[in-house]
Amino acid sequence: MAAPVTKRRKLRHDSDNGSESEGEAGGVPSAPFDSGSHTPAFKEAQPKPSHTKSDLALQDGVYTSEVFKSNIFKLQVDELLDQVRFKYGKKTALVETAMRKIKTIIEQLPSREPLPIVDAETALRSEGVAVPFPNPRPPKDAKYKLQYERPSNINVTGSFPLKTATRTDGDFAIDLVVTMPKTLFQEKDYLNYRYFYKRAYYLACVAAGIQNSKAGYFKTSFDCLNGNQLQPVLVVHPSGDNGADDFSSSKCVVRILLAIPENTFPESKLRPGANCIRSQFASEEETSNAAGPTPFYNATLQSDVAVTPYLKLLHSAAAKCEAFKDACILGRIWLRQRGFGSRIRKGGFGNFEWAALMAVLLQPTPGAGTPPLSTGYSSYQLFKATLQFLVKHSLTRTPYGFNVRDVTFPKTNFAPVFFDGPRNLNLLFKMTPWSYSRLQNEAKATIDMLGDSTADHFESTFILKADLLTFHYDAVLRIPLSSLEVDPVSEDYDEALLEKLRSLYNTLTRALTDRVTTLDLLAPDHDTWEVALKRPPESQHKSVLVVLSTSPSNANRTVDLGPAAENKKEAASFRQFWGEKAELRRFKDGSILESVVWSVKDTSVPVMEQIIKFTLKKYISAQAAERASFTFDSYAAIIPSGRVQGQSGVFAFSARMNALANLEKDIRGLEGLPLQIRHIKAADPQLRYSAVDVDSMRTPASIVIQFEVSARWPDDLCAIQRTKVAFFLKLSDLLAEERPEYVTRVGLENQSSPSKNQAYLDIILPSGFSFRLRIQHEREATLLERQLKDKTLDNQSRESAASALAIYNRDYVHVPAHTQALQTLCTRYPALSPSIRLTKRWFASHLLSSHFSTELIELMVVRTFLQPYPWGVPSTATTGFLRTLLWMSRWDWRHVPLVVDFSSSVSAPSGELGTTEKANGSLGTQELQKIQTRFEAWRHIDPAMNRVVLFAATNLDNDGTTWSDRGNPEKVVAARMTALSRVATNVLRAHEDSLIAYMNGKGPGEDLNPFKPESLFVSDLGDYDIIIRLSSRFSTKSTKKTEPKFKNLAVQQGSLSEEDKRNVGYAPAALFAEDLRQIYGDAVLWLWNPENFDVIAGLWNPMVTARRSWKVKPGWNSMPQRSAKDKEGEEEDAGADIDINKGAICNEIKRLGGEMIASIELRN
Amino acid sequence: MASNKAAKRPPKTVSGFAILPLTLPSLPSLPSQCNDAKHYLYIKPHEPSHPDPDADRSLFISNVPFDANEANLRTLFAEQFGGLRVERVEFDGSVPAAPSWKRYKHAPVVSMAAGSSGRGRKRKRDEEVVAEGVVEDEESALPRVWKGELRPSGACAVVVFVDKASARGAWKEVRAAVKEGREIRWVGGEVVLGVQRYKQHHALTFPAKPLLQSSINAYLSQFTAAETARNRLRLKARSVPDEDGFITVTRGGRAGPARLEDAERKQKELEERRKKNGVKDDFYRFQTREKRKEREVELRKAFEKDRERVEEMRRRRGKVRVME
Repeated sequence: MAAPVTKRRKLRHDSDNGSESEGEAGGVPSAPFDSGSHTPAFKEAQPKPSHTKSDLALQDGVYTSEVFKSNIFKLQVDELLDQVRFKYGKKTALVETAMRKIKTIIEQLPSREPLPIVDAETALRSEGVAVPFPNPRPPKDAKYKLQYERPSNINVTGSFPLKTATRTDGDFAIDLVVTMPKTLFQEKDYLNYRYFYKRAYYLACVAAGIQNSKAGYFKTSFDCLNGNQLQPVLVVHPSGDNGADDFSSSKCVVRILLAIPENTFPESKLRPGANCIRSQFASEEETSNAAGPTPFYNATLQSDVAVTPYLKLLHSAAAKCEAFKDACILGRIWLRQRGFGSRIRKGGFGNFEWAALMAVLLQPTPGAGTPPLSTGYSSYQLFKATLQFLVKHSLTRTPYGFNVRDVTFPKTNFAPVFFDGPRNLNLLFKMTPWSYSRLQNEAKATIDMLGDSTADHFESTFILKADLLTFHYDAVLRIPLSSLEVDPVSEDYDEALLEKLRSLYNTLTRALTDRVTTLDLLAPDHDTWEVALKRPPESQHKSVLVVLSTSPSNANRTVDLGPAAENKKEAASFRQFWGEKAELRRFKDGSILESVVWSVKDTSVPVMEQIIKFTLKKYISAQAAERASFTFDSYAAIIPSGRVQGQSGVFAFSARMNALANLEKDIRGLEGLPLQIRHIKAADPQLRYSAVDVDSMRTPASIVIQFEVSARWPDDLCAIQRTKVAFFLKLSDLLAEERPEYVTRVGLENQSSPSKNQAYLDIILPSGFSFRLRIQHEREATLLERQLKDKTLDNQSRESAASALAIYNRDYVHVPAHTQALQTLCTRYPALSPSIRLTKRWFASHLLSSHFSTELIELMVVRTFLQPYPWGVPSTATTGFLRTLLWMSRWDWRHVPLVVDFSSSVSAPSGELGTTEKANGSLGTQELQKIQTRFEAWRHIDPAMNRVVLFAATNLDNDGTTWSDRGNPEKVVAARMTALSRVATNVLRAHEDSLIAYMNGKGPGEDLNPFKPESLFVSDLGDYDIIIRLSSRFSTKSTKKTEPKFKNLAVQQGSLSEEDKRNVGYAPAALFAEDLRQIYGDAVLWLWNPENFDVIAGLWNPMVTARRSWKVKPGWNSMPQRSAKDKEGEEEDAGADIDINKGAICNEIKRLGGEMIASIELRN
Repeated sequence: MASNKAAKRPPKTVSGFAILPLTLPSLPSLPSQCNDAKHYLYIKPHEPSHPDPDADRSLFISNVPFDANEANLRTLFAEQFGGLRVERVEFDGSVPAAPSWKRYKHAPVVSMAAGSSGRGRKRKRDEEVVAEGVVEDEESALPRVWKGELRPSGACAVVVFVDKASARGAWKEVRAAVKEGREIRWVGGEVVLGVQRYKQHHALTFPAKPLLQSSINAYLSQFTAAETARNRLRLKARSVPDEDGFITVTRGGRAGPARLEDAERKQKELEERRKKNGVKDDFYRFQTREKRKEREVELRKAFEKDRERVEEMRRRRGKVRVME
């Protein structure tokens, strides 16, 4: 059998290659060839009938692990390809018929005699078509004539005949290319737009022919090919009249492109270095040397020449390389999800460029080694290698040439260069520096995530829409087009606007320095126009968007340092750039530097905004500075200290952390403790930078103290708890001696279960910070484990031991470890702490947080930072929060666990995304497998999700249920989280859509932004059955003491009165809510906002409290009803039904709450 | 609901229980539905499943109000049912829950009532051996942090009267009240509610240090006694073979029980050593071949599993759709 031999060879090859990935270098082209079996072509071919089906599957399984990222990834890619592939069938047959008809019409058009420009235009106008001349318009006195002759060729091109089209595009455009006969042109027509005038006339003739044809009825309009005003094209729409020629149901339009035969003009004249636009006044020889090159003009002309050659190239690539078409489709999806397109204003890199780039990279270059792509690659390998190529080559700085001989690239050119020698074209000529840098960033992000072997990232690569401004960028600057002050009716409008944008890009990039990591310009799209009209000037109601990703540690810096004063040349340039803003300053380290200082007094205007306004005013126009609107981290104001300050996001917590450090020193310094202290560990959100309220003095922060191992402890759980109390008493005596200013008190807890922790020690510092100390004694865990296995204990006791063990592990092992991990992450990612706090505020304001352990919420946000794909690490609270929201709205928690690996780290967003590093103790494939298995086991034993709903595991805690066991949250609450986050993301998407519409001049007037960030934080109480409003005296907001004017002074002086100290930790509303929970058990689901306790809302549990037949212990306050069977009510004791007694329950609640309750509302 | 009630008057009895409506105190700031809300008690003579000497002088009440306690039920019977005297009331639950200790399977079961209302009553400690700690008395218990217990919604109570006659009288009175539709008011009381309850709790949570100290001293001495009792029990277990003839290994033996963990660790170490010194498993050709086959099988399995997973994904969320 041949197959096994091949297989073995394959394996050997791979082991030789070792870790070499399927990337850039490519290896031996034929090596992974048998892997091509995944393509449909294989199924058709069925080369070896001896293979059984499972053999094939196995082969797939073996090979895809190398050729595709993973089995799962491959299977998903296959499915995706099947889904998006364009379906050729009845509906497309309609458009094909239409195209054939159009072709016939064009072929039968009569030739037109050569006419001078003015006559030609008039003639066509009478036929209802305005010649779409490009700007500048042709001179009236031109000596050449315009003429129409039968096209030499008409052909379908693009992705439709190549079968790489995807269904996901809206109206699908099929390209019909009409090749103009060579005879129409003279040798010098490539100069001074002459070609383009003739081309425009030719197109107008075709348009007139189709419009006035009797053979078929179609609607027509003009558009510019890829938004390039030099290349108008004719778009043929279905008539929509249900007539014979109507192809509306195919959801297609036909675009008629024009092309010219090769060698119409000399190739060398159209290379990037040549000049083709001569001044009218100078003689030819002079200008060709003096005037600069016109690469864009040349490339545009050459692209008309290269239409057919590229069609050939793509076809041959598809024939040579089986996976080529699939890779094209993958590329299309990838580009689409990132908002790229062939149109100049969409970045100038679209489906055609992707396919052509791949096809060129597949070509062998004689003498240049192996090509970057190999024909044996799988579609995934082609896709990935193409991205890698883009990442690796900074084509803006270093042009890349394929088979290039004696071509010079002008230095002044701003576009990236990928010069395809045989077809004489820079494929990327439509790109701008900013769009190329965005393309590179996106490619880099994708390569990074595909390199992460622990997760498949299929979703973030292809499914997620990555170009959503709201989630992608930190800041958006909107500048009305009109304020750029470019005259829309002038002849060089397009160029002038582009020049303006270029200057905007350059000055902003320079001004913002390392505050931003990416900066991109989004320009509005061009519109099509009717054939009877002249091309209308661009509407000035549109806007340009500048989108920014910021660097969290630099964005709000207040001083920009420039060059040293003695460095004359650079200093001068710096001064010139900043104008009156530049100052010469002497700094602490003695250096004298040019610098710019930004105001921090007016905190309402962020530094970024000040810089941008300044730059706009100085370099663009005063109007632009005035009318531009800037949104940056707009949600940060919702929480205290929400904005990243200086270099860190945890600055606001430093006073508390210092207090803890001092306390630890004090405790460790105590002499006379019976045992030595091993650890003092923080175990509280306030000590891991994730408490919403930064400086609340009300709640003590938990810490855990662990003593050295000793045999003097009793060997009994209950007695251990009492011994702890003795320890606390001792500790508090000692502290009172050493630090009389500290207030200590021993508090009691868990009185219902004497073997759980019974006591804690509160220490209240004079500064007002308070800490709650508990003792961890490892022996407890051992004893509990022993009880768990002890068969002489009754079941109930063993169960309670199990739950006690889980609580022990959570409180003494996992919470401290989690706290430590969060501390590290919050210092590494400045935006993490504010993002967590903002997210917690969201949970709280929707009354959800009493059902989620705070650690669980933190993990969801940490996930956003550690698995940020397809984006970079968030750098503001806003992006961190919104992306978490987006993820929550898409989290299918029924089937997918949340897995966070604290040790994985994506390097901070310093311009480029780092690779995912793996440290010790990180999650390996095996652990991930284990977590997955455990998750599936939970779903298997508890399919109704009564106990575990959300499953969240980390590398520190593989259990997955530590934070969510025992219905915390319950299913209904988790579903509410999903529903609320969906509503929120929909609102955000709608807002973004209106922003985009506004950018394209289609939105409402100037007053956009009716959207307030706060609106996401407003809870709708209409959904609840019972609403208890607490009197304002008892909701925590008002019990908070009035803020002193100078907070730091107050903290230093110790402003807490005796009364305040006694009341630390006193929260009557929380106790009341807890009472409600215990009294009503699972009959009522209570929700509240623990941050302010203004409302406690309840939902009757319909499963439990629905009307039922009477029983002794239903578990809720009931009222008897005549049972449905007993209609007459005569028969005594016929049995009765019971309902939940809502009235009596309200009365009970009022009795319990007394004066705390302002009102109770009941929904019917 | 109100109209419903008017059309159909609520039943007066159910499964042998008399249904006694209680008028609730009228309180401000409640929704209108609550104005004439009644609380319903379901009462019948106590018929415990286990024989109980007090059964014939007890009434069983289901669905007691959340603020019911011994004192206010006593008042209820004394004042609104003709001066009937209640000896004690036993509830089946409380908020916060009464402390519960882990117990041995065959240890004497303490009745439903003892857990909740038994505090302060004398208990024969020697007879009751809990698996951990001691059953505390007033001295050794930690100070309580809540004054007064609440009842979970829909809880039950057993009201024990001073004698049989009172119990019978009470049952008669209750039935009469139900039949006549006499208004019985629920007064509650005897328990601190509202913000005072929480203020009190906050104060009680932090008891005076000397009080704590003395409670701990008492506890630890009682604990020593309890340990002795438990050791006696263990000793007995050590010397008595079970029905299969095995003697249970228990704590407190001469050399201490074998440390299972240690033994396991040693075993593992030994295996590790053996593995190292043994024949390497890629020594023979057949071994490599077998290994490769094994790996192939594994891969096949993994692939099948992945395929199932993707299949399952498709089933649950339908076709793959690119996000628009």
